[in-house]
Amino acid sequence: MRTAGTYLLLALGAVVTLAPFLLSLATAVKSPKQFASEPVLSSPDPPTLSNFAELFGERYSFVAPTVVTAQVVAVVLLGQLVFSVFAAYAFARLDFPGRDALFWVYLATLMVPQIVTIIPLYAAFADLGIRNTFWALVLPYVFGSPYGIFLLREYFRGIPGDLLDAAKLDGAGTLRTIWHVVVPVSRPILATLAIITVVTHWNNFLWPLVITSGRQWQVLTVATSALQSQYNSNWTIVMAATTIAVLPLMILFLAFQRHVVRSITITGFR
Amino acid sequence: MTRRRDTRTAYLLLAPSLFGISAFLVLPILVVAVLAMQRWDLIGPRTFVGFDNVVAVAADGRFARSLLITAVFVAIVIPAQTVLGLVAALLLNRGLRGSAAFRVLYVLPWICAPLALGVLWSWVLAPTDGALNALLGRRVEWLADPVLALPSVAAVTVWTNVGYVALFFSAGLRAIPDTVHEAAMLDGASPGQRFWRITLPLLRPTTFFVLVTQIIATFQVFDSVYALTPDGGPQGVTDVVAGRIYYEAFEQRAVGQAAVMALVLFVLLVAVTLVQQRWFARRTTYDLSA
Amino acid sequence: MRLRPLVATAVAALALAACSPAAPDDAASGDGATTVTVRLWDEQVASAYDQSFDEFTRQNPDIRVQVNVVPWKDYFVRLPLDVAGGTVDDVYWINSSNFGALADGGKLIDVGKELADQQGSWVPAAVEQYSRSGTLWGVPALTDGRIAVYYNKAMVDAAGVDPGNLTWNPADPAADSFLPAARKLTRDSAGRTADQPGFDPGAITQFGFNAARDLQAIYYDFVGSNGGRIQAPDGTLAFTDPKTAEAFSYLVKLVNTDHVSPSAADTNDNPDFSRDQFLQGKMALFQSGTYNLKNVGDGATFEWGVAPLLAGPQGRVSVVNSVIAAGNADSPRRDAILKVLRWLGSEEGAAYVGEEGAALPAVTAAQQAYYDYWEGQGVDTKAFGDAGGTATIPAPFGPKFEAASTAFNPILNEVFAGRTPVAEGMQQAQDAGNAALR
Repeated sequence: MRTAGTYLLLALGAVVTLAPFLLSLATAVKSPKQFASEPVLSSPDPPTLSNFAELFGERYSFVAPTVVTAQVVAVVLLGQLVFSVFAAYAFARLDFPGRDALFWVYLATLMVPQIVTIIPLYAAFADLGIRNTFWALVLPYVFGSPYGIFLLREYFRGIPGDLLDAAKLDGAGTLRTIWHVVVPVSRPILATLAIITVVTHWNNFLWPLVITSGRQWQVLTVATSALQSQYNSNWTIVMAATTIAVLPLMILFLAFQRHVVRSITITGFR
Repeated sequence: MTRRRDTRTAYLLLAPSLFGISAFLVLPILVVAVLAMQRWDLIGPRTFVGFDNVVAVAADGRFARSLLITAVFVAIVIPAQTVLGLVAALLLNRGLRGSAAFRVLYVLPWICAPLALGVLWSWVLAPTDGALNALLGRRVEWLADPVLALPSVAAVTVWTNVGYVALFFSAGLRAIPDTVHEAAMLDGASPGQRFWRITLPLLRPTTFFVLVTQIIATFQVFDSVYALTPDGGPQGVTDVVAGRIYYEAFEQRAVGQAAVMALVLFVLLVAVTLVQQRWFARRTTYDLSA
Repeated sequence: MRLRPLVATAVAALALAACSPAAPDDAASGDGATTVTVRLWDEQVASAYDQSFDEFTRQNPDIRVQVNVVPWKDYFVRLPLDVAGGTVDDVYWINSSNFGALADGGKLIDVGKELADQQGSWVPAAVEQYSRSGTLWGVPALTDGRIAVYYNKAMVDAAGVDPGNLTWNPADPAADSFLPAARKLTRDSAGRTADQPGFDPGAITQFGFNAARDLQAIYYDFVGSNGGRIQAPDGTLAFTDPKTAEAFSYLVKLVNTDHVSPSAADTNDNPDFSRDQFLQGKMALFQSGTYNLKNVGDGATFEWGVAPLLAGPQGRVSVVNSVIAAGNADSPRRDAILKVLRWLGSEEGAAYVGEEGAALPAVTAAQQAYYDYWEGQGVDTKAFGDAGGTATIPAPFGPKFEAASTAFNPILNEVFAGRTPVAEGMQQAQDAGNAALR
């Protein structure tokens, strides 16, 4: 009996979770005429891709924002992985004066909310004349993230000292050690960091909203918001836009879900 | 000898992230403090005005109100998503077939951009032609009624996070060895007693982590509120602090005042974090500074 | 695994990444041509501009023009930010609420000086509206004509209503022929009209009218037709003027008491809601301007017509408005911009705007094309011109009007939602707006 009850509750949760997505998808494949004339919950008859076509037309193309977002995420991911690994290795395996105090400073910056930094960063970028550029989107994030460094340090501390000593005996310098010993051993945690980074930056909205204007460097979230303003209550097109906005990550997620789930639960605490 | 070599290597390795953190996280706090004492409209030059901005913000009831609104928002969202997440984790932990699939499903909303989810829900909750009203067969103005707007926005946030919270509680539950439960059962403890006396206390590290991170994050909510109720909602009831700061800086273009607000928020969040840490440190053996 | 190929890939990736897939807003085209960017909010006119600029580029092969549409809802939120950030387009539309601050800030090209020879060919009212400090600050792009009423023929015939003969009166119900008509034109799902017992305001399937917080189409005209005013001659707000407040009361009553118009929850944040209802055949009378004429022409699947604006106690008083295309004074492409502006102000360039009926050009000689197009479509556009009346109420003016409207709009939203009583709302709106004007 408890089993049935559990399944019932779990199924209820699944329905509540999925319903909005499925309903919005149904709306996205309805023709505007059908949406206007028939009840909201009627099924699309026939389903049509015209709303999506309009989103890839000349004036409101979602191709550019998707590509820009992918570019930003790629560069940020590269930078964060490399520089966070460097920093975490230093904190985890090297001994130097000021190490613990500096690490505490790194951790402390986790408390700085994004809304606080965007104003001075906007001012600084304005003075430097780099508003509305690709680098404006990328620079604040590409040099490593305190969260990532924290995550990696915990893991690196657990690497058996013998492995690293062996590398040193073979004459390996720091970079070689990191590349040939630390990285291969840390694949799970690196995968975790990669996933968190991709999700965080694909979905970033506030900073791109503020620092870019016009269509050249518009990222996917900003494009979706702009479309919501433009098409107001033309829900079929707006839902097509949200579908495109959430689909890439959803597909990636479902493909790598085992890793993602494991990653999320490894994070942060032991 | 080694230490000196190590030092140089260490600082070389640390250089990029040190630059990043100094330039993009530490320095901005100082700059905000400077901006807080200037008047700037994003177009013209900046002029020094001392504490005028502080006075203006203090006199502006809307900022204090936005702090209150955000606090209420957090007070609704955190208990709801924590309890629901825990319940979900308990159900998922029963080890029934297909639990893994459910677990994955529940996390889907968290993967999506909060902005996109906000736009999606703005349709679901639309008064005319909205999905929820069509399902209910009634016309409810979820986002336009001053009484319903904040709970509606809060509900969307809870919906987004429950799966994510459940994952952490799942891991925490699995970390509790079965032997502990078995011993308790041998002693004649009922399921309820086991839950309150054993499971919950042993979950403290997880609960602490979830609460701390989620409270900090929820205080900063912006994207979904912006998409659901632009302009602060009916009678300004969903004017959360991050939204107010954004509006002040980039629509009113009163950057100095926005900077004051941002500083207040920062101090507030630091205080909240420290208080939480102290409260939990007394009640759990988990040591965050390890 | 070797480090070097990986590094090489990373460098290549970075290089690729710094290129945007979207055409850069201000780059020079490879073949030495200059690209001038033009920003506006009207989709229909943007299509007309595309064609107009094709011809322009044929005549001026070294100048290409890129048209960018920014939605009306965001247009004036983004504009100051983009002007500040130096990312605004070379040529952009402005309306009267917004041009003053930009002109005073030296951000606009002095069209009165640069294109003085063309000035006489533009609609005088537009030239006057956009003159400040003794000169004209942009090329008049379009003029909105008077506000009129679009109506659904089948609905008004079925209700026996003559849309050209409607008069409203807030003080004397006996003299009000509009309200009974609007109630007859409002139906619920059971088919009952608003003047029948048992009418269910929660299940309305057809609205009679589009009363809402709509500045240009609704409240300015109602206020004017009642003998009130929104701004005093010195620019300060006059919401508490008894005739103004009376007009607002009437409008709010139409929405919340008589239920002949959609709920404010739908119309407050969505300026296109009523238009969409009309196009979907769910509204009988839709008071609006020439800016919606093409939308209605293209989108309505039923027979429709245009009648003059509703008459109030003071007759048919409409707000008449124009829009200018201003040049970005900070742009390095001044010569090219001046050529584009000259084209927009010429009969040849402006004709495209009217030819497909997108909007009424503000270049006098180009206006006939517009009237001819709609006559060819069987639409009588007389009501948008003097035949619809001649009395007007001044459009918003002053350099800080936009700031004032940002301040009073949320208050007016609450008034239309019925949550703030009209008298109180008028006072609050006036105070908030005047504070922003200072």
